[in-house]
Amino acid sequence: MSGKPSKPSSPSSSMLYGSSISAESMKVIAESIGVGSLSDDAAKELAEDVSIKLKRIVQDAAKFMNHAKRQKLSVRDIDMSLKVRNVEPQYGFVAKDFIPFRFASGGGRELHFTEDKEIDLGEITSTNSVKIPLDLTLRSHWFVVEGVQPTVPENPPPLSKDSQLLDSVNPVIKMDQGLNKDAAGKPTTGKIHKLKNVETIHVKQLATHELSVEQQLYYKEITEACVGSDEPRRGEALQSLGSDPGLHEMLPRMCTFIAEGVKVNVVQNNLALLIYLMRMVRALLDNPSLFLEKYLHELIPSVMTCIVSKQLCMRPELDNHWALRDFASRLMAQICKNFNTLTNNLQTRVTRIFSKALQNDKTHLSSLYGSIAGLSELGGEVIKVFIIPRLKFISERIEPHLLGTSISNTDKTAAGHIRAMLQKCCPPILRQMRSAPDTAEDYKNDFGFLGPSLCQAVVKVRNAPASSIVTLSSNTINTAPITSAAQTATTIGRVSMPTTQRQGSPGVSSLPQIRAIQANQPAQKFVIVTQNSPQQGQAKVVRRGSSPHSVVLSAASNAASASNSNSSSSGSLLAAAQRSSDNVCVIAGSEAPAVDGITVQSFRAS
Amino acid sequence: MSLEVSNINGGNGTQLSHDKRELLCLLKLIKKYQLKSTEELLCQEANVSSVELSEISESDVQQVLGAVLGAGDANRERKHVQSPAQGHKQSAVTEANAAEELAKFIDDDSFDAQHYEQAYKELRTFVEDSLDIYKHELSMVLYPILVQIYFKILASGLREKAKEFIEKYKCDLDGYYIEGLFNLLLLSKPEELLENDLVVAMEQDKFVIRMSRDSHSLFKRHIQDRRQEVVADIVSKYLHFDTYEGMARNKLQCVATAGSHLGEAKRQDNKMRVYYGLLKEVDFQTLTTPAPAPEEEDDDPDAPDRPKKKKPKKDPLLSKKSKSDPNAPSIDRIPLPELKDSDKLLKLKALREASKRLALSKDQLPSAVFYTVLNSHQGVTCAEISDDSTMLACGFGDSSVRIWSLTPAKLRTLKDADSLRELDKESADINVRMLDDRSGEVTRSLMGHTGPVYRCAFAPEMNLLLSCSEDSTIRLWSLLTWSCVVTYRGHVYPVWDVRFAPHGYYFVSCSYDKTARLWATDSNQALRVFVGHLSDVDCVQFHPNSNYVATGSSDRTVRLWDNMTGQSVRLMTGHKGSVSSLAFSACGRYLASGSVDHNIIIWDLSNGSLVTTLLRHTSTVTTITFSRDGTVLAAAGLDNNLTLWDFHKVTEDYISNHITVSHHQDENDEDVYLMRTFPSKNSPFVSLHFTRRNLLMCVGLFKS
Repeated sequence: MSGKPSKPSSPSSSMLYGSSISAESMKVIAESIGVGSLSDDAAKELAEDVSIKLKRIVQDAAKFMNHAKRQKLSVRDIDMSLKVRNVEPQYGFVAKDFIPFRFASGGGRELHFTEDKEIDLGEITSTNSVKIPLDLTLRSHWFVVEGVQPTVPENPPPLSKDSQLLDSVNPVIKMDQGLNKDAAGKPTTGKIHKLKNVETIHVKQLATHELSVEQQLYYKEITEACVGSDEPRRGEALQSLGSDPGLHEMLPRMCTFIAEGVKVNVVQNNLALLIYLMRMVRALLDNPSLFLEKYLHELIPSVMTCIVSKQLCMRPELDNHWALRDFASRLMAQICKNFNTLTNNLQTRVTRIFSKALQNDKTHLSSLYGSIAGLSELGGEVIKVFIIPRLKFISERIEPHLLGTSISNTDKTAAGHIRAMLQKCCPPILRQMRSAPDTAEDYKNDFGFLGPSLCQAVVKVRNAPASSIVTLSSNTINTAPITSAAQTATTIGRVSMPTTQRQGSPGVSSLPQIRAIQANQPAQKFVIVTQNSPQQGQAKVVRRGSSPHSVVLSAASNAASASNSNSSSSGSLLAAAQRSSDNVCVIAGSEAPAVDGITVQSFRAS
Repeated sequence: MSLEVSNINGGNGTQLSHDKRELLCLLKLIKKYQLKSTEELLCQEANVSSVELSEISESDVQQVLGAVLGAGDANRERKHVQSPAQGHKQSAVTEANAAEELAKFIDDDSFDAQHYEQAYKELRTFVEDSLDIYKHELSMVLYPILVQIYFKILASGLREKAKEFIEKYKCDLDGYYIEGLFNLLLLSKPEELLENDLVVAMEQDKFVIRMSRDSHSLFKRHIQDRRQEVVADIVSKYLHFDTYEGMARNKLQCVATAGSHLGEAKRQDNKMRVYYGLLKEVDFQTLTTPAPAPEEEDDDPDAPDRPKKKKPKKDPLLSKKSKSDPNAPSIDRIPLPELKDSDKLLKLKALREASKRLALSKDQLPSAVFYTVLNSHQGVTCAEISDDSTMLACGFGDSSVRIWSLTPAKLRTLKDADSLRELDKESADINVRMLDDRSGEVTRSLMGHTGPVYRCAFAPEMNLLLSCSEDSTIRLWSLLTWSCVVTYRGHVYPVWDVRFAPHGYYFVSCSYDKTARLWATDSNQALRVFVGHLSDVDCVQFHPNSNYVATGSSDRTVRLWDNMTGQSVRLMTGHKGSVSSLAFSACGRYLASGSVDHNIIIWDLSNGSLVTTLLRHTSTVTTITFSRDGTVLAAAGLDNNLTLWDFHKVTEDYISNHITVSHHQDENDEDVYLMRTFPSKNSPFVSLHFTRRNLLMCVGLFKS
């Protein structure tokens, strides 16, 4: 009976039987250990026998995996399974990623082999920087306090990013979540608990937004620290904003605080506070547990204003408002990367706004710089499509200022910055677009005044090694220049502390300005009043500039009422465009009626 | 019944001639298999001539073989005849044994696989056409019959037909049977049937199916009416029907207790009396003994204060003394050591802390503190917090054990011998003086094992620690000298779990070798070996009164063993995967078990019935624990979730529905008993522990 030969079996492809080693594999393995020729019947017998033994070993290895509190089978489990069967375990198969083999195919066969790297002994002996693995550490934190999970970084956030996305898409789910036990263990407002006892649930009641006393105190401390004068405290506050879970309930007020702050301080030309507010935006973007898509209609206009606004500071020739524009451009690029979808077309709309400012020949030079900076951060294709064709016209704009024919020193500085920005972002793209022989004459014919300097930059890029090409889209936003710019602005600018006191103004024309500010934002916490200079010339400047401020206030009020982010961005941009014409009134026939209102007010004021 | 009576009468009447006739048929069979030397030896031993041998015909051999397979008593007689032959020739006996073993699966030479398949098909049609109230119970019959037919086809060498048979009919089974079927399908040769443990188990122990009387009569009528000899043969040999009165069970009730490798638990398995009450007399002795001693010894001015403190303590305890629990075992049922004075003081301290315990309920949820182990390179394999919540012991995959102090008190070492000799042994604070204050450390490492440490267990006296490992040893460590004092070697395979008894002195271990063993700390030999599981014993737990031990196994059963007799007194089936964790309730009557199938089942130990199944976890339940007052059940697992269950409501609902024992809960509503679910961020749970004041401590491993 035992000597009876078993019948040859076909390879089974059933799911229940699992996989089995084929006879072909047995032949390959036999060849690898020196067996010249293995018959088909012997290969089949061996394949079946080995398959059964392997399955038993894997089943035992699963037991060791379960008892080690793991869910991944590792090489060590197989070793212990062999050890239980009194078989010598395999040595040299320790791998961190659980797959110690590499795959290769050649000669019509598929092979898996063990990767065996050659190690240079010289390198091992020369470098003594082998790190000792970290020692065991035991950390403890409060997991649950009387049935409520505290929102410490060790605990999961009470409302994950996916839940916040679901809330924004379908608000009706909130009514069901109020009765769900899963949400009951998380720190929430008392409104949801009260709703359990109410038989009739109104949708309107869910719109109320309650903050606990601790959250209100946290909000107050964070906002005061972020815009205060204490720099270390601001760093801690931004760190908390960027990493703490559980801030989603304060997020609407945070975004409103940033949006209103930008509106007020851009009128007041307060560069330092604008920089602080942009750093708050960056901290909120870095927080992994916050879902910001619902608040883009407030954040994007604020960031866009900091990029393309005509004037961001009191002294354009002294303060470094260019650093703020660069920082805000990188923020806008990150926002487009995070939130751009096929439905909202965020990047397309942002690109259109920047290119519209670039197309306009009467754009202020500061706004022109902001548009170029914004477009350059959005990627190489954007530079190729929108900036390169306009290089000739930009050269014609900045040539008079750089050659010294312009009287204004501010415009000269702006032209220099525009040239530096173009020389930084355009050469890598031009290197790919144009062929190898670069001549100054060709570049001058194509790009005008900036041609020779661009030609030198392109030649330099071609001669440099490939590894040193500057990456245009850098993920890390550098905050060092923005911090130093903020300190400079704080030192130079004569800004008083935040106060609600109204100081006396010598000029009669200043009184309507102050009254207009207070009428539009009566509840605003930070109202900054600029002291007037006793010089008569400065008084003339203040008196002459009162009309643009009124226009900007009207534009800001108009933008606040608009719920569409595109319309808001257009409003801000148009407000900036209007300021480029000092005292000249320009009427565009095809504009919207709101813009006509602004134009009419500007005409009456002048 | 009448057939059985006639068989017995016929057998008794022809005892002598039947015995000789069986011998002649055996000789004929041996001759048929060409075993000449064995034949000659057996003829000489039995004084049988060749003339008598020729009188036996082929049909007589078949009849005797059929009788041997059917009757169990004939096996003993045949073995008796075999014993002289075994001493003479080993290889011939081995082949003969193999042939006879395989003959168990072969009824005749002309084996017909188609005949079996047809019989199974008719049985399946019968089950599908039966009434709805009986269909689910009758469908429990399909799996064991399918497996036995598969064995028969495989034993005859028709492997391809066997695989086709399984492929065709496996869709009838429930999901949890497919995994067990996969193990059986690893068999591909007839010889492997003799070595597989599951096959041997299904042959020796019958597959148990609980069925109502009506369903059973329907099934019997089907077998008899349609002359299903094949199915009737399998049923009589391999199935056992545990019938009960009342209505048939529905789908949920059938699935609740099915899934084990040996079917369901018999009623007989849970018949024995279990004393699940707690040992209360021990506490009173500890309290009454030290009461007069300090009063007599004290001559200090503080003497008047001590009697005042003692008197309020005595009154509530003395009132409890009058009560006697009928379910509690007597104090001397198993021998327990005398408590030392220091241990009595520890118990007094524990009782005082228990009086300050927070009463947990649905409105008063517990607070939890989470201990996260960072930078563990080979993973935390176990974690254990001492009963007084002062120390945490973790076992790792790199064979080391590490102990952390969870209080500001440091882990100190015993002083050296010279310093100890100078100490005053009679002083009150001898336990504090003998420790070296300069040697305090926050954490200590214990090295000695050569494999991953799968369990650590603190002694109730807080001076000893047990650990078990993959290297098949159990080590006892001293928490005073921080060294290994005993190595217990009894298991030859990896030891999965080890637990100290709540009263100390005894501990129990379980292993890959399918046994659990009871040890005493002062002996190298196991006192009891609990044998009965069909696969690995994965977890073990002592009853609060130290008289019983519960074990969970990879054969998906939970058993309760009596430490005094070593017998299995409860067998509970219902899990669909390996049992991974066990916990006794504070009162001792209920047992909670968690499994790899993500479920938690509550059992009533008074009769072994299933109370309820808790469905919430999405991965292995690695740890279960009850609160000190027994009102909250906390469970956690590898899905990074901690769930709190209202155990008070579970027991209330169970006692109020206790009238019908044979029927379980009709509906498994998931959220009836669930109080709260707390997810952790990135840490699967390794251990849960309630302190004496009902603060929950969680230990997890940070998964980077």
